[in-house]
Amino acid sequence: MSHHVTFQDLPEGGEKFDPARGSKLIGGFAMAGLIGLIGSAFFFFTRTDTFAYSWLFAVFVAFTVVVGACFWILLHNASNSGWGISIRRLFENLANMILVVGLFALPLLVPAVQNPLWEWMAHHREAAHHAHDSGETVKEALHHMAQEDSHLHILVEKFGYLNIGGWYVRFFLYFAILWFIASTLRKRSVMQDSDGNIKHTIWSRQFSCLLLFFFALTATFASVDWLMTLDYSWFSTMWGVYIFAGCAWSSMAVMILLVTWLKSLGYLNKVVTDEHYHLMGKLLFAFTVFWAYIAFSQYFLIWYANITEETRFYLTRNTETWRWVSIFILVGHFAGPFVILLDQQRKKKTRWMVGMCLWILFMHVVDIYWNIIPERGPSLTHGEEWLIPYAWIQDVFALLAVIGGVGFVFLRGLGKFSLYPCRDPRLIESANVVN
Amino acid sequence: MSTTLKRVHGYLAEFDNPQDLYHAAEHVRDQGYQRWDVHTPFPVHGMDVAMGNPRSKLPWLVFFGGATGFTVAFLMQFLTQVIIYPTVVQGKPTDIYTLPAFFPVMFELTILFSAFTTLFGLLALIGLPRLNHPLFASKRFPKFSDDGFFVCIEARDAKFTKEGTKSFLEGIGGKNIELVEDEI
Repeated sequence: MSHHVTFQDLPEGGEKFDPARGSKLIGGFAMAGLIGLIGSAFFFFTRTDTFAYSWLFAVFVAFTVVVGACFWILLHNASNSGWGISIRRLFENLANMILVVGLFALPLLVPAVQNPLWEWMAHHREAAHHAHDSGETVKEALHHMAQEDSHLHILVEKFGYLNIGGWYVRFFLYFAILWFIASTLRKRSVMQDSDGNIKHTIWSRQFSCLLLFFFALTATFASVDWLMTLDYSWFSTMWGVYIFAGCAWSSMAVMILLVTWLKSLGYLNKVVTDEHYHLMGKLLFAFTVFWAYIAFSQYFLIWYANITEETRFYLTRNTETWRWVSIFILVGHFAGPFVILLDQQRKKKTRWMVGMCLWILFMHVVDIYWNIIPERGPSLTHGEEWLIPYAWIQDVFALLAVIGGVGFVFLRGLGKFSLYPCRDPRLIESANVVN
Repeated sequence: MSTTLKRVHGYLAEFDNPQDLYHAAEHVRDQGYQRWDVHTPFPVHGMDVAMGNPRSKLPWLVFFGGATGFTVAFLMQFLTQVIIYPTVVQGKPTDIYTLPAFFPVMFELTILFSAFTTLFGLLALIGLPRLNHPLFASKRFPKFSDDGFFVCIEARDAKFTKEGTKSFLEGIGGKNIELVEDEI
């Protein structure tokens, strides 16, 4: 057993990150963000309809990682865990990136971006146009349109939830709730840095238990509003859980990479040990299996029932090139990580975990890509093309812009507070954790 | 008057608390004893490190148990439903693309076989169930399930000697050292 860490071993006021020491990575993110933003701006104005999909994809990748961080702090507080105190502040900082992601999500509010993405919005706008001329309500106008195009009946039925006003309200509500959770918990945590009062720990626990419910609703309906309604006739009751599984998974991978990076710069070495790697690795493994369980269940139910409006989703992703991507996800998203993370010793080896986490993040990006982009070709060409040639270049630029931007702001802001809650009563418990 | 033949099982030494026991275990480990064990009323964290126990082989058994379950489930379904007697259910194909329908059973059997291997592998590795244990001959030993913390060094250990082991146990703070003998 290594030396038992006490408060005497830790610097007073915690460790503060100096961005100058991590300038290489921060500069890399800034560079990627800048290149991405320039490319994105170009495509945004010249190829708005294809680029809308690219931008949704990129923003959603960042959104899932941040939502996952929010989940981990809520879970950690609510379950009264002690092991993760040393890394909790990093999760808090990551969850607070929700405002930056919100900023990147603003283009999704532009109708020219929305119409090619969410066809129901285009239909609703057309109905609103008719309603304006004839003096009836939007729903009635939709009903009239449905008499000519019977597919639209479903939009009349779904009008209670799927309407443009409601969509905007929910859009802001999602970011407001997530920002409220992230900023409140970090505020309390930082207050404890100066007074060391256990009151904050207890308060955060109560708050987290309460807010977990609203968090679950937010994550579920955000994924429904932004991704599931890309095809307004399709639905899956497991959709929210499926996206959530990816959120928690990718966020844990980001955390392991972040901790490793900080440790290589000389931070956190007294409070984060191999045991933390093992614990984080176990959670990563758990969510590898959980994701596969949910992904398979969703596929299985649709495959077995074989109902026309449900199978469309998988038919699209089982045709031409997407078929290989689907198989690749099965192997790379589940089978590979499952076998590699099964071994206990491997979870404690930093090199293995870093490689694994990079792979996991890549697979997460592929998973989100696979969920969004197959809708693009059929939607924009009305079913004539599966893929739009060279559109993937736009996806790369969009991803660079959002990940580079969020990563840059995140790492720059890391030095604002101590890297770990330096006066949390259970910090010592976490630093000496054995599992 | 009868004469019973007895066999020396080993030395049993008692310690006051888990801390003492933990450090005693470290000493026994460093002395190079192989055939010995500790007995406590509850699990002591880190005791496997203090005793120098190697990693258990059980995970490997479980891995192959699970893999067997996975394969058995696949073959049982594939052979019966596709090869021997092709069964069309709900218009699904009867070839390798029937695979999704097999998965729930493959999943369950993987878990079932893993669980069985865990349980029976564990029992086999620790040598349970057994009818009796030589340590039950000791009058003090029942305390192990209440408030007793024991180290027992067995006589079949190569380094065991009647005098040397006793003085070694005294040296590391063992109390009520007792030579346990069981009837044969």
